[in-house]
Amino acid sequence: MSDKQFMRETLVEGAHAFKAGKMDRRTFLALCGATGFVSASVLAGDAQAAADHVVMWNWGGQSEECHGSAIGEAFTAATGKGLKFDTSGPLEGKIKEMVDSGNVTADVADADLFNAVSLGPTGHLEAIDYSVVSKEKTLPGYALEHGVSIILYGYAFVYDTEAYGDNPPENWADFFDTEKFPGMRSLYKWANGSLEAALLADGVAGDALYPLDMGRALSKIKSIKDNSLYWGSGSAAHSMVVNGEVSMGMIWQNRGRNIENDTDGRYKLVNNQALAMPGAYIVPKGNPAGRDAVMKFIATAQEVDAQLKLLDCLGMTPSNPAAFNKIPEGQQDYAITSAKNIEKIVYNDPDWWGKNGGDAVNAFLEAIS
Amino acid sequence: MFGTFCAVNDVSLDIQKGEFLTLLGPSGSGKTTLLMMIAGFLDITSGDISLDSETLIGVPPEKRNFGMVFQGYALFPHMTVRDNIGYALSVRKTPKAEIDIRVEEMLELVQLQSFADRKPNQLSGGQQQRVALARALCFSPPVLLLDEPLGALDKKLRVEVQEQLKDIHRRVGTTFIYVTHDQEEALSMSDRVVIMRDGAIEQIGSPKELYEKPESKFSAGFLGKSNFLYLEDGTYALRPEKIDIAAEGAGAAPRMTGKVRSVTYFGSIQRVMVETDEAGELEVDVDNWRNPTSFRAGQNVDLMWEDHAAVMLQRSED
Amino acid sequence: MLALRKHISPGWWLVAPFFLLVACLYLGPILNILWLSLSDPEPGLQNYSKLVESDTLARIMWTTIRICVITTGFAVILGYSIAYAMVHAYRREQSFMLTFLLVSFWISILVRTFSWLMLLGRKGPINEGFEAIGLISEPVAFMRNELGVLIGMVHYMIPYAVLPLLVNMQTLDQRVMSASRNLGASASQTFFRIYLPMTTPGIVASALLVFILSLGFYVTPAVLGGGKVLMVAEYISVQLLVTVKWGVAAMLAALMLAGVLAMLWIMSKFMKLSTVFGGASS
Repeated sequence: MSDKQFMRETLVEGAHAFKAGKMDRRTFLALCGATGFVSASVLAGDAQAAADHVVMWNWGGQSEECHGSAIGEAFTAATGKGLKFDTSGPLEGKIKEMVDSGNVTADVADADLFNAVSLGPTGHLEAIDYSVVSKEKTLPGYALEHGVSIILYGYAFVYDTEAYGDNPPENWADFFDTEKFPGMRSLYKWANGSLEAALLADGVAGDALYPLDMGRALSKIKSIKDNSLYWGSGSAAHSMVVNGEVSMGMIWQNRGRNIENDTDGRYKLVNNQALAMPGAYIVPKGNPAGRDAVMKFIATAQEVDAQLKLLDCLGMTPSNPAAFNKIPEGQQDYAITSAKNIEKIVYNDPDWWGKNGGDAVNAFLEAIS
Repeated sequence: MFGTFCAVNDVSLDIQKGEFLTLLGPSGSGKTTLLMMIAGFLDITSGDISLDSETLIGVPPEKRNFGMVFQGYALFPHMTVRDNIGYALSVRKTPKAEIDIRVEEMLELVQLQSFADRKPNQLSGGQQQRVALARALCFSPPVLLLDEPLGALDKKLRVEVQEQLKDIHRRVGTTFIYVTHDQEEALSMSDRVVIMRDGAIEQIGSPKELYEKPESKFSAGFLGKSNFLYLEDGTYALRPEKIDIAAEGAGAAPRMTGKVRSVTYFGSIQRVMVETDEAGELEVDVDNWRNPTSFRAGQNVDLMWEDHAAVMLQRSED
Repeated sequence: MLALRKHISPGWWLVAPFFLLVACLYLGPILNILWLSLSDPEPGLQNYSKLVESDTLARIMWTTIRICVITTGFAVILGYSIAYAMVHAYRREQSFMLTFLLVSFWISILVRTFSWLMLLGRKGPINEGFEAIGLISEPVAFMRNELGVLIGMVHYMIPYAVLPLLVNMQTLDQRVMSASRNLGASASQTFFRIYLPMTTPGIVASALLVFILSLGFYVTPAVLGGGKVLMVAEYISVQLLVTVKWGVAAMLAALMLAGVLAMLWIMSKFMKLSTVFGGASS
């Protein structure tokens, strides 16, 4: 669900990168320092200051640095306004609470597109101004009234090459086939992606998934219940694989490279039938910096340059079609909208999730617990 | 004959069947330690403790069959008086009917019949003390150990309970080993008293023997009061009430003369402190009935005593 | 006014503002939760009727209660042994043990949880060690299931179980135990007939504390349960943050509160709660 904890875990990866020497000490310390500084300034948050910067509500960690370099710098150059962060994680309940309390301290939330569907009609979000933001600079169907997709992340899976070396699994049907491919599986705990994977495995076509047939999906899920674990965070997904707890594990696809590295290539990423999730920017109703400023910020994030920087820095795949064929060669295997993968992926329907997500999560939890 | 009790510091002690023996000493003298060794709660490093010439070394407390009344009573707070008293029989798997009969006897002995179903915290201190006694006697132990059983009671109640204890001792015929630091208690209740000091026995004897024939300054000083005379052939203990006193020149063949320093009136006696040349300050207790003379400070007096009043101490060291 | 002054000590007027403030700070949110459970998404009892309609909720409750009871049982038994050993240790060892106990309070629950995962995981030293000496042919699934949750929770709860017991045991008069031995009771008779009953207030306090804390457990079940052990606390959090069904969350929170209060009430029928919570026993 909107539990995009993987954003937060980029901090962990930041620490990994630092250890591996990919990030120098000064950057790392600056990153750590920035967290403290930004939190303090957000807390101070007086109205005067609010006018000259935009506050982004994200999951902290490395995404602060990446959002700053990929979007913030260009935005500041164009408008003179700064970028600050609230790193507490914009879960749907928290956005609702913030708006309901009347104390809105964030301008733009790095959330899921289906949040725009569920929170928009209830009056918790500002409408996107499509005279500033472009509908063309995202995938069709991913520019909605109250939110626009900026990046994509995907649910793919990795498998143990030692267990299935000669006859590797190729799709979700293989993933759910524990007779042909014996071993443990791991799936995402908050239903998203897991339900789609189950239906694809059960033979539903990728373009005929929605509305999801919950009964069918859940009975498929239950068919491997005894052989599966469920993760709620990217680090759990990672450790279940790396510790050898599962021989096939659903993961956020941007973690694929790390897992392949951490297991010395023993586990391999499969992007076929990867489920593309639109990550979106949404604006809490009554945001302090005003609607114009935040729309310009969102428009900046749509630019090809920003999109490629986000991919490079965070592993998030561009959603602007103009960026697809500019994805560098070295990143194409791990980016779901690269030429190598884009034909094989299946798109998430934010409208269905926005309207049915809550019930779907509860039904899923009921099925697995 | 009861065998020999040995404890640290070469304590050697025979206790007679049925006697009321008191271990008397200041705190830290080892009297409670000795009692705990007898009860089996403390191990001894060498020597022997035996009952009817059978050794008790290595026998755990619960197998020694000694009753014990603890300081503070140590009643079982979650049990009724009845269950407290019957506990020793109950853990011995005695049939319930038998226990009931025995508990009733005990309740009667300590006169707590109407309190049988109360919890200890609903009883007064004196009543708790009686429950502790009944509990310790219920299984008819050959020996009852009492560790300062009256320490928590006020003075008036204590005298009353002393009488009851003596009465009960007479009726049950059990050997009582009684620990106290109160010399009056020791004198008034015991058949024999063991004066303890620094983990060793100072002197053993009947109260009368100890009072009349102390063997050391410590015995003489701890049990009652005493003046000490340092003469050429040794040290003598001289009890204050055994000195006769008269105004200067009025006494027949005075042994010493001196000057009164202070007089304190106590009703039955007056305590006169007399400064002498030969023996320093002496305390003289004057029986007001037999010698109604009033003395005053500064007055010169004659002091007299009979030959056998002064007891030569066998051990004159401190 | 005059009549009132006769009954209320003037001291109360001094503390009244603070008392009211504290009362509001505590009661306000609780009333708010109750109100939410009756008003979100629309006024009525529909949140409560879900309890009867949905067997999911019943199952989550049952899982929660089952895990909490088992956790409480093991934590109290182990905590009892530890407290007993501490009370009977020499002073030096005792303070050593107490330090160890308190240190475990300072270690983050996440760290402890992941330590178990490493220790007892499929590739952990225990499994690999057992495999190496041929005790087992394939790894034992200690983690990512209810057993894992129980291991993690019991471990976390033991210090909480120890402290009330320790306080209780330290206040006991050792002479009472000596008296029991002296009266002919063996060591085990003394323990079961004297020591155990005398430590009952400690056991009850410790069990209450552990049980109530367990009810709110979230991280450990989520991580060690492999996603399949769903307890009320985690479910409430999901309903608050993810599915945004605040009414259901509030209803469950209210229910847990009522459950705890009911438990205290039943307990108060059997014993004086003040003795459990360290008050003087009468």
